[in-house]
Amino acid sequence: MEQELAALTERLAALESASAMSGTINSEIFYWWCTALMIAIHAGFLAYEMGASRVKNVLASGIKNILAFAFMVPTFYFFGWYIYLAFYNGLIPAADGAAGLPWDLSMGPNLADNATGIFWAAFTLFAATTASIFSGAVIERIQTAGFLILAILLGSVVWILGGAWGWHPTGWLTVKFGYHDVGAAGVVHMVAGFFALGVLLNLGPRVGKFNPDGSANAILAHNIPFTITGLMLIIVGFFGFLGGCIIYMPGEQWINIYGQPTTLSAFAFNTLMGMAGGIIGAWVKTRDPFWMMSGALIGIFAAASGLDVYYPPVAFVLGTFGGFVVPMVAVQLERLGIDDAVGAFPVHGIGGLIGVVSCGIFAAGYPNIDGMPPVSLWGQIVGAVTMALLGFVPGFAASYVLKVFGLLRVPDHIQEKGLDIVKVPVSAYPESYTPGPVNVVTPAAAVAPAE
Amino acid sequence: MNTSPIESWEGAEAVFTFADKPAILILFLLLAVAITAGTIIIAAVHEKHAYSSH
Repeated sequence: MEQELAALTERLAALESASAMSGTINSEIFYWWCTALMIAIHAGFLAYEMGASRVKNVLASGIKNILAFAFMVPTFYFFGWYIYLAFYNGLIPAADGAAGLPWDLSMGPNLADNATGIFWAAFTLFAATTASIFSGAVIERIQTAGFLILAILLGSVVWILGGAWGWHPTGWLTVKFGYHDVGAAGVVHMVAGFFALGVLLNLGPRVGKFNPDGSANAILAHNIPFTITGLMLIIVGFFGFLGGCIIYMPGEQWINIYGQPTTLSAFAFNTLMGMAGGIIGAWVKTRDPFWMMSGALIGIFAAASGLDVYYPPVAFVLGTFGGFVVPMVAVQLERLGIDDAVGAFPVHGIGGLIGVVSCGIFAAGYPNIDGMPPVSLWGQIVGAVTMALLGFVPGFAASYVLKVFGLLRVPDHIQEKGLDIVKVPVSAYPESYTPGPVNVVTPAAAVAPAE
Repeated sequence: MNTSPIESWEGAEAVFTFADKPAILILFLLLAVAITAGTIIIAAVHEKHAYSSH
């Protein structure tokens, strides 16, 4: 009898161990595929930017985007992950952040650590997303070196600092203000959008964008279908992005980044409803397929902060509102003489702002854990202002320094000639390129409702 | 050259190359940083040259 009991105990222990290891490996698998899906975001931005460029700049835009991805990976390894783990209290690093230093034994193959590498990878892809958001705004006139410095600053320093503050279980925005942003509307999209705005002020418009009287000319994308397909690919990737926003707890319910229980089902409901609302809102406002697909993204961002708790029709209404309103912001930006080639600031900066603030209205009162404040409008406003400044100030300051050193803007005569012929050894369309009929409207006119 | 930090897989944790040799780890890290920073410098030089020759 005793022998049987001992054998049974041994088998039970073996089963528990196998179950725990199975959960650990399932967790790794989940984030592995989230990361793979997020690469679709970068592929989408690549198509989006190249399609939005003129023929003479297609490959230069592509090279810039690909390099942003390549530079995010090592720089996020060198210091990005450390910033996330160490700076959750503000600007003074915490001692426990040392686990993110690139010489720590968890920062490489380690049989006792199934988590660090896969989370580092997922966060690196979030960084690549921020760099891609910024990349689209500055096409056709930014120098590669200056762009790379700015992309590294945004992707491996600035946004991840925002992540440490507001997208971390003990980030100060959460601990002190109950900031709630499960889908990263603020920490990713607002930061990247406002960073892009800061850079655009120093970079200036593309040659020919504005007339001496301040009126705008349309600089037409050479391939709108490619751009629209790219936007759809970004949405595919966002299912990896948003999957990476929640935490797999083997044997337990999912939790969000703040430790509150949630489900993937919650994210599925509200991501799709927000996306659909965004498409519809943008279509009603513009009838423009480019804005419809941008509206899909705006809809997701407008619902992103409260994806875990919204009643799905709330996400739909927020998405519709965002999709309707944001194209008007793009028009105002152009009237101010700012050339945001793909609408990065309106789509991400303002779309993210809608998401963060509306969470304070429609998710107010949801409890936090460990005695932290509940979700509130005040907490969300504090978070939104923080994210806007965190993006804008470094973007403006760093691009100003680059401008002073002549590393920011491509000379006007080179812009007129085209970047591909000047610095790319191959041609995008070597045999022929036949433009179709041209509908000459400015972006401002494009958002007027169609008949 | 033996790059392995382990002699057996039994109980092994950090198994990456040079995990037991911090000086070499730092050397490769600095090399990687130099490549990353150097490429940006190369990009700047390439662009200046390209712009001045057109």
